[in-house]
Amino acid sequence: MDILKVKNINFSYDGIKVLKDVSFDVEKGNFISILGPNGSGKSTLINIMSKVLKKFNGDIVIDGKNLAKLKPREVAKLVAVVPQSTNPGFDFSVKELVSMGRYPYSKRFGTFSGKDNKFIDNIMIRTRIKGFAEKKYNELSGGEKQRVIIAQALVQDTPIILLDEPTAHLDISFQIELLEFFNQLNVVYGKTIIGIFHDINLAIQYSKKVLFLKDGKVFKYGKTSEVVNEENIERVFSSEVYVGRNPFTGKIYINPTFNTSPGHEEKTRDLRIHVIGGGGAASPIINKLYNKGYIVSCGVVNNLDTDLSTCETLGIPYVSEAPFSPISIYAQNKNLEFINSSDMVILPPIEFGNGNFSNLVSIKEALEKGKKVIVIDSENIKKRDHTDGKAVNLYNKIISKGAKILKSGENIMQVLEAAHGK
Amino acid sequence: MQDIKRTIKYLLILILVLFFLIIFASSIGSADLSFKDTAKIFGSYIPGINNFINIDNIQPQYFDIITRIRLPRIFISILVGIALASSGVIFQGIFRNPMADPYIIGVSAGASFGATIGMLVVTGIRILNISSVSLFAFIGAVSTTFLVYNISRVRNKVSVLTLLLSGVALSALLSSVNSFILMFEAHDLAKVIFWLMGGLTSASWQQFFIICPVIIIFLIISSFFLNDLNIISLGDERATQLGVNTENVKRLLLILASLIAAAAVSVSGIIGFVGLITPHILRLIVGPDHKILYPTSAVAGGIVLLFSDTIARTILSPREIPVGIITSIIGVPFFLYLLIRSKKRIF
Repeated sequence: MDILKVKNINFSYDGIKVLKDVSFDVEKGNFISILGPNGSGKSTLINIMSKVLKKFNGDIVIDGKNLAKLKPREVAKLVAVVPQSTNPGFDFSVKELVSMGRYPYSKRFGTFSGKDNKFIDNIMIRTRIKGFAEKKYNELSGGEKQRVIIAQALVQDTPIILLDEPTAHLDISFQIELLEFFNQLNVVYGKTIIGIFHDINLAIQYSKKVLFLKDGKVFKYGKTSEVVNEENIERVFSSEVYVGRNPFTGKIYINPTFNTSPGHEEKTRDLRIHVIGGGGAASPIINKLYNKGYIVSCGVVNNLDTDLSTCETLGIPYVSEAPFSPISIYAQNKNLEFINSSDMVILPPIEFGNGNFSNLVSIKEALEKGKKVIVIDSENIKKRDHTDGKAVNLYNKIISKGAKILKSGENIMQVLEAAHGK
Repeated sequence: MQDIKRTIKYLLILILVLFFLIIFASSIGSADLSFKDTAKIFGSYIPGINNFINIDNIQPQYFDIITRIRLPRIFISILVGIALASSGVIFQGIFRNPMADPYIIGVSAGASFGATIGMLVVTGIRILNISSVSLFAFIGAVSTTFLVYNISRVRNKVSVLTLLLSGVALSALLSSVNSFILMFEAHDLAKVIFWLMGGLTSASWQQFFIICPVIIIFLIISSFFLNDLNIISLGDERATQLGVNTENVKRLLLILASLIAAAAVSVSGIIGFVGLITPHILRLIVGPDHKILYPTSAVAGGIVLLFSDTIARTILSPREIPVGIITSIIGVPFFLYLLIRSKKRIF
């Protein structure tokens, strides 16, 4: 049974068409991710489905009722929205905020029946916020705040829950926790969930179907395993990605290989340096190089790695791999492409395991191709080797082939400037 | 249930304070009565109790002084205080800003302009025994608010920012015009300025019975939307998602709060800070829930203005100070204190 039917939605804002003939049906109990680049109309679609935006063409039918004919209270009993954040104008307590979600069921002066109060209590226990119910919202941590926002939406007791980037301000462990929670709502309680997520990978781990939006149009809509592929992602996001599978869950995993293509931006120095990353050891060096205006790239780093966040923050191109997974041939080849287009490769004192051993292999190949390699040897390689001597062997080979050794990363700038001056 | 109990508890305390303040305020003035005698005079009007009260040793003219001179003024100051504070609560809720007050979208400028017209240009009109000053002040206040509201309405939606800005702009324009008129009417300058500073000298029962029902009716209607106001303070979009008919409720509350403030201003002139400070203090005590904040702020507003007015009429007796000066003298330091406090906390 379709709980939601979206029929030929057209919406313009200030004369610009934001949504163009958007149609799709959602079966009861589904979990759908709306994916698309910024400005593709995702948030607008959420706002239309929750009747925040009223002036659109087309029809939305929820549970057999036409949205246009429903009063705000009735809509709030069918559709709840979990926003990115909420900003109460005044210092409300957790309990007060959560109770506001029960508004559609309240009487004129905002009083509730005993049943309503029980329901609110129950939700606060399930979202684990009952313990600080009397605390002020503004005193809570980011994760606690988000749980309050979720509780506020859940007390609406709606068959459909819309998620509007609810994980955007949270760190990764909270993001996963929240998605697990929504997944439970979906699987155990049969709630229909439609969401926008800022992390595509997390989104597709949990959603049964995906709706790709591009330029305000439905680009593809279907089962996650059928529509999430390299071609579709590339065409929607217009960026180079490769689609693999998460080795633990067997589900599809998307890896962006570029943030910006190397050498695109004009820098003060035209020396291209590729830094091998891992475990945060590369971050201080990347920072220094970036600040001095070198053209920096980084690879191969796993998602969730500190070095990867550094690259993202600075807008540096990088090659990445799924979290806690060995480097694939694909990623290794990408990394070699980066190395080939650079003038120099730097190896920070990173730890080596079987998973990232191929990074050392890439360094050896770089040397063989005549690239300048600088190895920062501030910590003994024997202590960093978790491959039973394989890494130590290759490391020593690299050094004997003429890589420059620095005892610490401190004076790397002088070395580079000397090299660059020549 | 807990909320209702809390509300009643705070209300009872405030009403008790107000009650004693009324007796106290009635007892002081140029003809001095003791608190006890004043209480006796009050008691003698209450059926059932009056049989037990001995009023033989109280001079009969004191009864007139209290019921005809002091009480109307006391009740008007309470009513104006209630009106300013409760409309302050509504404005602060709608604007999601504790610094908003009843005058923020042009009520004061409109009323001042209207009052000037009523005093200097179109004098001597009386409808329902309302003086031309009050009449024009009310009309000025309401039409200015209406104008500001309509200027800032875009596609049936009202943005808070444009509302504030057009309020500021229109207020500035009106006060310039006001000053321009005053340029040619220098001999009446004192009269107008005294009105602008706010005062309750002209208070009478008649005045009270005209504005009382108006204000009370608007207060009761707006009290139906306190829960909506709580949710609107989360922002328009969120409020709509939670099921509030945001645009309609906001429009209605803006109109009601402006009418309440306009009715008050029309008899009292511009009395500052009561509508700003009172909700602020009460929010610190009872919390931000408008279901509790609104009724308690209303009563507290009555207390604040009655207290200020009693000082205003007695401290330099026989001269009177405009009560607006007293509320500002009390209000500004307190306001600054709150500002510094909140700056440390969040801003």
